Amino acid sequence: MTFTNNLGSSSVGSSVLGPSSHAYADVIHRLEAGGSMLPDTPENLQQIIGIYKAYAVPMDFYWRDLLYIAERVFLNPLPAFKYFISQEYLDLPNRYAGDQASLRIWRGGEKAHPELLEFMAKGETRAMPKLLHHLWHDRVNMEFAEACMQAMFWHQGMGGRFNDYLANEAYRANADRAIKAYFKGNLVMLGLYKLFPEMFIEKVRQLSYTANLGLFWEVMAPVFFEMSDLYDEGQLTSVPAAMDFLVNGIFAVAGRPIYHHVFIAGECIEIIPKSEGFTWLYEAALPYVEAVFYRTSPFRGTKSYNAQADQVPADQADFHYGILYADVFPVGSAGIPPTLLMQDMLHFLPPYLQELYKQHRRGEQDQLIQLGITFQRSMYNVTSAVIQALRCALLYPLDDTNPEHLKANRSFFETQMDRFLRPEARLSDIQTQDYR
Amino acid sequence: MTLLLLLLGVPLAAGLLLTLVPPERPGLVRHLAAAAALVQLAIGLVAWRQVPIAIGLTWLPKLGLGLDLALDGLSMPMVLLTALLTAMAVLASPVDQSRPRLYYPLLLATNLGVTGAFLAHNALLFVLAFELVLIPTTLLVAIWGENRRAGAAVRFLIYGAVSGLSLLGGVLAFGWFGQGAGGADAAVSFSFEALASAPLPPSGQAWVLALLLLGFGLKLPLVPLHGWQPFTYAEAPAPVVMMLGGAVSKLGAYGLLRFGVGMLPDAWVIFSPWIAAAGAVSAVYGALNAIAATDMRRLMAYSSLGHMGLLVLALAAATPISLQGAVAQVIAHGLIVALLFACVGLIQRKTGTTVIAELSGLLNPIRGLPFTMGLLLLALMAAAGIPGLAGFPAELLVFEGSWTVFPRATLVCLVASGFTAVYAVRLFNRVGFGRLDNARADWQTTRLAERLPAVVLTVLVVLTGIWPAGLTGWSEASTAALALRSQLPV
Repeated sequence: MTFTNNLGSSSVGSSVLGPSSHAYADVIHRLEAGGSMLPDTPENLQQIIGIYKAYAVPMDFYWRDLLYIAERVFLNPLPAFKYFISQEYLDLPNRYAGDQASLRIWRGGEKAHPELLEFMAKGETRAMPKLLHHLWHDRVNMEFAEACMQAMFWHQGMGGRFNDYLANEAYRANADRAIKAYFKGNLVMLGLYKLFPEMFIEKVRQLSYTANLGLFWEVMAPVFFEMSDLYDEGQLTSVPAAMDFLVNGIFAVAGRPIYHHVFIAGECIEIIPKSEGFTWLYEAALPYVEAVFYRTSPFRGTKSYNAQADQVPADQADFHYGILYADVFPVGSAGIPPTLLMQDMLHFLPPYLQELYKQHRRGEQDQLIQLGITFQRSMYNVTSAVIQALRCALLYPLDDTNPEHLKANRSFFETQMDRFLRPEARLSDIQTQDYR
Repeated sequence: MTLLLLLLGVPLAAGLLLTLVPPERPGLVRHLAAAAALVQLAIGLVAWRQVPIAIGLTWLPKLGLGLDLALDGLSMPMVLLTALLTAMAVLASPVDQSRPRLYYPLLLATNLGVTGAFLAHNALLFVLAFELVLIPTTLLVAIWGENRRAGAAVRFLIYGAVSGLSLLGGVLAFGWFGQGAGGADAAVSFSFEALASAPLPPSGQAWVLALLLLGFGLKLPLVPLHGWQPFTYAEAPAPVVMMLGGAVSKLGAYGLLRFGVGMLPDAWVIFSPWIAAAGAVSAVYGALNAIAATDMRRLMAYSSLGHMGLLVLALAAATPISLQGAVAQVIAHGLIVALLFACVGLIQRKTGTTVIAELSGLLNPIRGLPFTMGLLLLALMAAAGIPGLAGFPAELLVFEGSWTVFPRATLVCLVASGFTAVYAVRLFNRVGFGRLDNARADWQTTRLAERLPAVVLTVLVVLTGIWPAGLTGWSEASTAALALRSQLPV
């Protein structure tokens, strides 16, 4: 397998250890040189930055609504309006951007993005009641966000202590307190809770993951907005630079707390208190990447078919249906085609991406697919950032001169690349610009 | 009279006119060709109101050849079908068709020959028109076909020549033996009336029918005379196959009905068990080969072969209902096979292949060809005899009409007809569903103008399915008059 490699020849690892014999040797050499799995081309840079911007706008809604669901809707037995976010949460200031931020890292404002607010107000179709906008999917599709949450919740055990804590007695006690407070005076629901306590606790666990993902995306949205701004200003000029920005961002917020608070009758009940010490990197970011980028589950419409055809692995760790493997054609033959996310991003595509898509394949007719593949490219870059961040945290610098350290780095990179040896992996596809 | 001459004159004049159009205006050639076919269709519809009409002009009396033309309940639907399919074939041809000043005139020449044969009420004139068809169709295959077009054209020519010679021999024998009793000096007339008024003895009929069966069996085709068909259908341009499968092959069915059932009744009754058996064998052979086919065009070719078997079964039974079914099957099959090849042609033009193993996921709503695949599915359903589509009333009449005469052959054909669903589902499953390969799926969607022929044919397939009188109404009286056996209660 031969890939374009702009950086590999200059890496310390390659010069000291010699070339890797891995099938993705060129990609490994590129990673050893501080590059990304995605080749460094101007078009790749344009594509990923453009899609980060288009992704960040709906993400700005996702995190707000996820927190709204986890903290306010909570155990509402008929949560029909959970996607109709309250004004309070739409105005919720981001804690990592803006003048009022408790930890200002990024330069954007704390308010919801203006494009999001405009879209929320009018949609893209015509003036009609909000419910009709909702039913017509002329809205931000929270279903995608919930699917991501469910993937994290279902796969579990992907590092960190978060999942173990959900089986903890302290957690059960907090959840019990919240359930009883939420259904105070509601004899029917309290009676049901008495009869089926595990069902309620399990639902709270799911809501804890909802909060987890909301807090994760609260960090990511301003990161992507700032990357887009930097690109527009000409300050982000290469794919590795974009990846480095992400790596730095990961480390900047790695220790931010992950928690689950519920607001019931004006009282804040801490189901997972901040004091438990769950952190953004280990309890949210890494499980998210593992669950959503790599694993997820067969496309909802084909699960039964996949199972009957023995296409579903017995071990959850072997699942490989994430965006890094996904067939973005909306037939659902493999992976989550993030169809709803693609529709969300379509609303907010920057003009230069729209122009790019018009020049290829079916132009406007299939830009949904083209942007899906762009999203795939961009997520390979995000995954590269995670891999480099892990290497930074657990192993050695890339310019380390100790051969044993470089060997350990290479071994780490090769192990990561082994996950893309499956035929479904799109790593080889994204090495060429023709994959659209 | 004028209408009959116009039906022939329009394609003839248009064909000649097209060769004079300046080469820098290829679009005009295409538009004129389509207009000529549509005008011919309009004339046919006008003539429909006046059926039956006939003219008899002296041409070469010493040869017994006269310009005897007529439109009746049998020829009327055939003429309209030919005009319609010509227009659809023109519109289904690529906008940037190479050498248009030769291509479109040859399509119109094919139309002229086929229409002439359907209108002919003189056996020699019929043979002349029948032979005329061979020339433009061979050229169309040889010049614009796929990679192996030369072999396909040669094979098509040889089979066609044998068919024509056999037919000529049969017709000459018919005239000479039938009217030879009048003395050596007496002029032999090959007009249908003259042939019908001088019937042959059963032994003579048998020899003549054997020759005609060979000639028409090759044209239909029937197993084992089908050697040219899969090869030609796979290599010829799809619009040409629309004409070959939808109109040209119908000359065989029409000939068997007109000459075999109509003029050689004694021999037909004697031969009919064997003819029915050949129909059943064709139906099964075609269906099984279609199931095993690895190329869409060959699959369609074998499917067509199988459905010709049903038609022949109906002709063999020769009951009023079966003959009505035969005519209905001619029209329905003509529409369906044209629709199938219109869709396959579009798929080939966009994807560059018709090899089943190389295609998948074409139903993909964004990068696939969902509209074309939808119409293809409808065409396959129609071929499978799904109620509400053209194939259903035709096949129902065939089976109902044939059952009392040839129950075993009808049963075999019923099973074979059921196989249509097998290869239709198999084809659709492999080509329509599955993963669309990103590396290959770099083709543009079909434009409205490209879809038009398939859409028109689809409308007719549906219309004749829900209004079967559109298939049977034309020929009810004619087929009733030709029936050799009375219909027994089923």
